[in-house]
Amino acid sequence: MVKGNHMTGRTIVITSGKGGVGKTTATANIGSALAMRGNKVVVIDTDIGLRNLDVIMGLENRIVYDLVNILEGKCEPHKAMIRDKHGHELYLIPAAQTRDKDCINPDQLRELCAALEKEFDYVLMDCPAGIEQGFKNAVGAATEAILVTTPEVAAIRDADRVIGLLEASEVDRPRLIINRIHPGMVKQGNMMDKDDIVELLSVEVLGLVPADDRTITAANRGVPVVHDTKAPSGAAFLRIAARVDGEEVQFVELDRKTGMVSKIKEILGLDRRAYSHA
Amino acid sequence: MLDLLRWLLSQLESEDDQERSKDTARQRLSVVLIQDRLDLPIDKMAAMKREIWDVVSRYLVVDDDFLEFEIRRLDELVVLVSNIQVKDTTELASAQ
Repeated sequence: MVKGNHMTGRTIVITSGKGGVGKTTATANIGSALAMRGNKVVVIDTDIGLRNLDVIMGLENRIVYDLVNILEGKCEPHKAMIRDKHGHELYLIPAAQTRDKDCINPDQLRELCAALEKEFDYVLMDCPAGIEQGFKNAVGAATEAILVTTPEVAAIRDADRVIGLLEASEVDRPRLIINRIHPGMVKQGNMMDKDDIVELLSVEVLGLVPADDRTITAANRGVPVVHDTKAPSGAAFLRIAARVDGEEVQFVELDRKTGMVSKIKEILGLDRRAYSHA
Repeated sequence: MLDLLRWLLSQLESEDDQERSKDTARQRLSVVLIQDRLDLPIDKMAAMKREIWDVVSRYLVVDDDFLEFEIRRLDELVVLVSNIQVKDTTELASAQ
């Protein structure tokens, strides 16, 4: 397969229902990782009025035009695209910050995505939280969906609701990312694990991302955590992107530290970054 | 030193005693998700359960309550699972 030469790219929406579970972080990291694998990628922030993908990617100072400008015919798509700093074929179309979700519709967005699919291997859309117009716009323009949740009651409940809504849409059955897993808590029986969540939602799992302080420092710097080679969450997103890209990647059991010192640290509650599956 | 060891051991033991809050989370979620999916209020569910018990008890001597009565997801299907204990099998034979 020659990368960057597909005639038809894939348009994937990253959605969740609940806010604050890591949609934007997932979009930035999967987009970056797909580009690092040699794909030509465009990420679109569809969260009009509350744009954030630009800051997560560290591109906030380069915005001139936005998604709404494109859809209103005020500029060509390429004019609004901002190239990522890391030298890959990764581009951002930012959301408009001073407009609202009702100023665009799914048909306009689908038309844009269809045009982009001719040029890009992947068109990723960061969906707004909620299930209102912003959600309908993004889902209506996508052909595939990635659902992000955390191992919490509220996030899983909302994810289930979104699965129901996606079933009624044109989008294929979504694949799930479980974000911010605390393996220590899972081990104690105080956090739901992959199997618990799969049983509740009966959905295919695309990947598991451990809770990782480095995601926060990465966001502070505006550099997606896949660029941090020491970050467990970054490694998890690289594996997720490989799976999206069609590669069979086993769900590896990342070694918990087993030495005496870390055992004691764990008992003392000092081992915050231990993690198991991803 | 002995105190530290004792404390460490107590930490190891207490791990087993701790309430597994994920079980509570799962239990609560499974109920909430069914209600969300079916939009079936709790009182309707209770009425259905009562009616099903009434029907079964006309034919069999059964326990007063179901061992299991819930709507759950089985892969792509949503199924009603109900289990009720038959108490007197001689009655079962005579019914046939």
